[in-house]
Amino acid sequence: MTTRHPPRFALAVLDRLLPGSSPLAGDLTEEFERGRSRAWFWWQVLAALGVAAIRRRDEIRPLRLVDLQPVEAQERSRRMLLHFDAVPLTGTNLPGVGGLTVVALAVLVTLLAPIVWVAFVGSMLAGVALGLFFIARERRHS
Amino acid sequence: MGRQLLTDFELMILLAALRLEGDAYGVRIARQIEEVGRRRVLLGAVYAALERLEANGLVSSTLGNPTSERGGRARRHFTVTPRGLRAVRDTRDAFVALWQGVPQLEERSS
Repeated sequence: MTTRHPPRFALAVLDRLLPGSSPLAGDLTEEFERGRSRAWFWWQVLAALGVAAIRRRDEIRPLRLVDLQPVEAQERSRRMLLHFDAVPLTGTNLPGVGGLTVVALAVLVTLLAPIVWVAFVGSMLAGVALGLFFIARERRHS
Repeated sequence: MGRQLLTDFELMILLAALRLEGDAYGVRIARQIEEVGRRRVLLGAVYAALERLEANGLVSSTLGNPTSERGGRARRHFTVTPRGLRAVRDTRDAFVALWQGVPQLEERSS
């Protein structure tokens, strides 16, 4: 007997883009095992991301500088029926590294080795130039 | 405290959860709405509504044990709270009150 495996990429997308969606992923896997198609699976994943995106747009999201809040603050928010998502100022995904850490690092680099910024900005510009070159080449060929 | 009225989708979810009596989790609630309520639903929308209902204290949830048929993921079981039950009753009363006295709805053509 062959075992059907749900689309791994779809599960990875769900895990990555929708934190806390493990029960939903489990439900989708369960339904897939019951005979649902891969197209159905993908459709449900994409729809879940769409629903979450619409909800997120309507949420009030105050800026938060650290990854963790005191339990008491979370409990207070819960009692007030408020649901706050973390919005790291720098967009860093490193656990335990919040906005202030990166800002402090940037200040240190500026004070101690400002030349690093030249290399940083230079490599960003080089990346943009390379991207533009590939786009231009692609357009010329099409 | 004022009455808390539900949207039609929230009402369906709470009714499905009540019908499932302790075995209510996302996909079973969705199936119940599709089979009994004859309305197609997206699992993502069901979970989004359940999260909102939980934030408002109308349902509570507990995590079950992970199972292999779910790829090692646990089920999240939902229970309607007394506040949720009150909201269902209040919504039903509001619908019934609106239903009455509408002549177009009283006669059904055979």
